[in-house]
Amino acid sequence: MKKILLMGNPNVGKSVFFNRLTGANVIESNYPGTTVDYTKGYMKGDSEDFEIIDVPGTFSLEPKDKAEEVAVKMLEKEKGNLVICVIDASKVERGLYLALEIIERGYPVVLALNMWDVAGDKNMQIDIGKLKNILNIPVIPTIAISGKGFKEVMLSIKKAASVEVKEIVEKVGEIK
Amino acid sequence: MKKKLSEMNYEEEGRVGSIEQDLKNKVAGMGIRVGKNLKMVTKHPLKGPIVVEVDGAHTSLALGMADKITMEVKE
Repeated sequence: MKKILLMGNPNVGKSVFFNRLTGANVIESNYPGTTVDYTKGYMKGDSEDFEIIDVPGTFSLEPKDKAEEVAVKMLEKEKGNLVICVIDASKVERGLYLALEIIERGYPVVLALNMWDVAGDKNMQIDIGKLKNILNIPVIPTIAISGKGFKEVMLSIKKAASVEVKEIVEKVGEIK
Repeated sequence: MKKKLSEMNYEEEGRVGSIEQDLKNKVAGMGIRVGKNLKMVTKHPLKGPIVVEVDGAHTSLALGMADKITMEVKE
């Protein structure tokens, strides 16, 4: 069975994401650090089933505490598996930092810009097309608590492939 | 005016001037890097952590970390 890891900063809604994908009922709360250990669940795709792993939130892949250590170890253990990187659409910069680190290590990544509604409330506009173009990975706005964007996430799982960071850097250079 | 992040007062805003090398990668994941604007939100007593605002999001830092970040504060 193929595995999918859910990674992202603390408090971006990974567990809500997990519950929605698997129908499980893990504890979710509005605090950073709710998930300290990982949780596994299963999801039925249209052609195959997936094992989903809810990883504790981390700011980077250089662990600073126990929960982050678990996150990094999980990622290393599941080498080559798909990562859904969940980031807070209203805090894009720090989310992208982690996403790039994961891409750099060679994992195929699907980027979910979660809390899309919160970003809208804060009057933030994010150019999804441009992000997709630069990163060359699927980028999907989602609202985990309402379920918006989940169909697209499921569909894009097949399309995700690993990307060279060098290519991303070149594209960013072109924009400037 | 230059001062340490740990010396900033409530509500004071400033730009990150420099970060000690060993801390750079640690705080980059939290969105703190040279050139970013920060606002002091909370300073906890008894050498407790500080909370700063970066890009509209709150982030807490140990006081020891804040000591290693030099800010440029407007007069």
